[in-house]
Amino acid sequence: MLSFSKVCFEYPNSATWALDEVSLDVALGKRVALLGANGSGKSTLARLANGLLLPEAGTVQVDEFSSLDFSNIRALRQRCGVVAQDPDTQIVCTTVFDEVAFGPQNLKLDVAEIYERVEKSLAAVGLEGLRERDPNTLSGGEKQRLVIAGVLAMQPRYVVFDEPTSMLDAQGRAEVLAAIRDLQATGHGILHITHNLDEALEADEIAVLEAGRLIFSQSRKEFEQRADLMERFRVEPSAKAKAEIFGRPQQKPATSLVLERVSYTYSAGTSFEHQALNNINLTVVQGSVTLIAGHTGSGKSTLLRVAAGLLEPTEGAAFIETAKPNSKIELNKELNKEQINVQKATSKIEPGMVGLVFQHPESQLFAQTVFDDIAFGPCNIKLVSTPQETEDAVREACGLVGLDYGEFAQRSPFTLSGGEARRCALAGILAMKPQFLLLDEPTAGLDAQGHRFVAELIQKLRAQGIGVVVVSHEVDFFAPLANATLALDAGRSVPWQ
Amino acid sequence: MAVVVPFGQYIPGNSLVHTLDVRMKLLLVVAYVFALFSCGWFGLLVCAAALIVAYLVAGIPLARAVRGLFPVLFILAFTFLFNAFTFTATPAQSVAFDTVSLFGTALEVPQSISLIGGFGIVPLGVVRGLYFALRITLLVSVTTLLTFTSSIVALTDAISSLLSPLRFVGVPVEDVAMMFTIALRFIPLTTAEVEKIMVAQSSRGVRFDQGGLIKRARAYVPVMVPLFVNLFKRADELAAAMESRCYEGAGRTRLKVSRLAARDWVVGLAGTAFFVALGVLSLLGVL
Repeated sequence: MLSFSKVCFEYPNSATWALDEVSLDVALGKRVALLGANGSGKSTLARLANGLLLPEAGTVQVDEFSSLDFSNIRALRQRCGVVAQDPDTQIVCTTVFDEVAFGPQNLKLDVAEIYERVEKSLAAVGLEGLRERDPNTLSGGEKQRLVIAGVLAMQPRYVVFDEPTSMLDAQGRAEVLAAIRDLQATGHGILHITHNLDEALEADEIAVLEAGRLIFSQSRKEFEQRADLMERFRVEPSAKAKAEIFGRPQQKPATSLVLERVSYTYSAGTSFEHQALNNINLTVVQGSVTLIAGHTGSGKSTLLRVAAGLLEPTEGAAFIETAKPNSKIELNKELNKEQINVQKATSKIEPGMVGLVFQHPESQLFAQTVFDDIAFGPCNIKLVSTPQETEDAVREACGLVGLDYGEFAQRSPFTLSGGEARRCALAGILAMKPQFLLLDEPTAGLDAQGHRFVAELIQKLRAQGIGVVVVSHEVDFFAPLANATLALDAGRSVPWQ
Repeated sequence: MAVVVPFGQYIPGNSLVHTLDVRMKLLLVVAYVFALFSCGWFGLLVCAAALIVAYLVAGIPLARAVRGLFPVLFILAFTFLFNAFTFTATPAQSVAFDTVSLFGTALEVPQSISLIGGFGIVPLGVVRGLYFALRITLLVSVTTLLTFTSSIVALTDAISSLLSPLRFVGVPVEDVAMMFTIALRFIPLTTAEVEKIMVAQSSRGVRFDQGGLIKRARAYVPVMVPLFVNLFKRADELAAAMESRCYEGAGRTRLKVSRLAARDWVVGLAGTAFFVALGVLSLLGVL
């Protein structure tokens, strides 16, 4: 049994308990899902499970080993493995084989035993064929399966998964979820920490963590009867956001962001040559939402760089197209009919015209205050010149993303919570008043509430006449909000499924 | 980003050069470099021939070696021009002569030939310039051959294996090897991260290619700050992942105690002996 009993934990300089008397049991062969919003204390629990953190009150017990006795730490860590979010920060070694052998080497096992464990663990996650590969060349799903193999080689009885799918695309996610099912089938006790309702509903028992306290902990059946909890974690655009999409009269769009027959090849002429985009056409009109879907490596990030005017396509062109207001109405003599001859002017994509928000944009915050960070873009492109104008721009951007100006403007961006930092980073782009906005996986790592915020923001921007492009794995979530779609596969546009 | 940042330039293969134990390859390169810095023209040409043979055996086109020279082209050109030309050439009537022996015949060579006033050619300097340029060419080409035929992983393993005797004098060789490994894993990730942050900040109007030195340096502040913040965050997560798997530093099972095959010993030691002999004989003035 992996059991937490009345576990309390607080971080230094924090006013509140990160975990407050949390009690939870995971039996062998059982799977317990721990649901909670961003910042509810889920990851802290994961670090307590194998002694990376020690509880301030209460105990963590893995079989007969208790966290109270420090000499048990090694046994605790060996018996209870942890798989965290980002495979890139968990992989230590430079080949797949070495990575799986890393744990057993630390346990000072015989060479023969290590080889046997590595083979078994790789087979368990289906990576037998990749023994000599460099982990950097694996897909996200393969990397996370490699992390799981590395944990399995320690021969743990319990495995804690801390949002193991949040950095993966749909396929990688399916691979990892399958691996978790296999682990349970082989008798491991599983604690699956997540904010994804669908993933949680695969468990035998479900616990809900809210602001450090366990507010629910029962069987899945009981959970499914709690409509309030189901609703809270269901990821769906709010009814309001959905209703707005077709409810607004279409005004004639004056400006479009156009990608015409765009191809892009990296490192042309070398052995690393790689065609990332192949003959892509895309027109984003103002006041519309375009959804782009595709696996990691489908060319999405290259497409965004081209659309933002930051990468010159190898072939084709990316530009802004504007319909001239004084389009003439001419008489076509041959047909003897009036014909509207819409004249279009094209122009270069200037800095500030197209805002680009990368996945996890909060990891690009740098300034000393939230104010300075948000003002950075508008000052760079000389959109604002006086202090008053700057303040107005920052205030307006804060308003758009729902950050209270008075509370946040003078805080350091590095003290913000994950959700607040994401809002701050978005505000930094919106303050530049872009006509088009490119969002790369805007909901990555966000809980249900965060999802709703993103959906509402997109609708707000659309209503203001901004052309929004969303790149996301979460097709089901964004499809109801989109006017147009584009599916990418290996750099080509493919039919939408 | 889909593109794997090319790091190292390993070209996989099964040739004798590829499969030779990397420790022996390192030893050979050291002996080769010793020979390069001890030899005169004769020895240098022998070294050049040996390297060409090695490239042919490895099945790597010489054009790849030439491409590897591009980064040092400036140094090569500078070395040659600096030796071959002078600004203190003496007029033809008062020029001094050097005596050189070529195949037993004594030749009188002018010390400098004036082209325009003081600017002139130094005939012996041309020869000297070629000699130094060839030496640099061979030096660069031999190390590129090493990296063409050995993966980065094999190289680090070999270096830590060669360093392992130092553990007896208290050097934490295993920790150093682990640092090497982690650095290797994170260099491509960090490169990709820098690229991503730079693109993100360019989209916020930062120009990395405009203004004077100070302005350009300041443009990198919004890149370096988040980069370091993220690196520390990553380091923390990596440390957690390592501790979770009971990493405690030294005392781990050593997996790669790869033994040298008879062929490694023969090729490695014979080659090393050859180049050392070449160097020593040149230093003694025999060659």
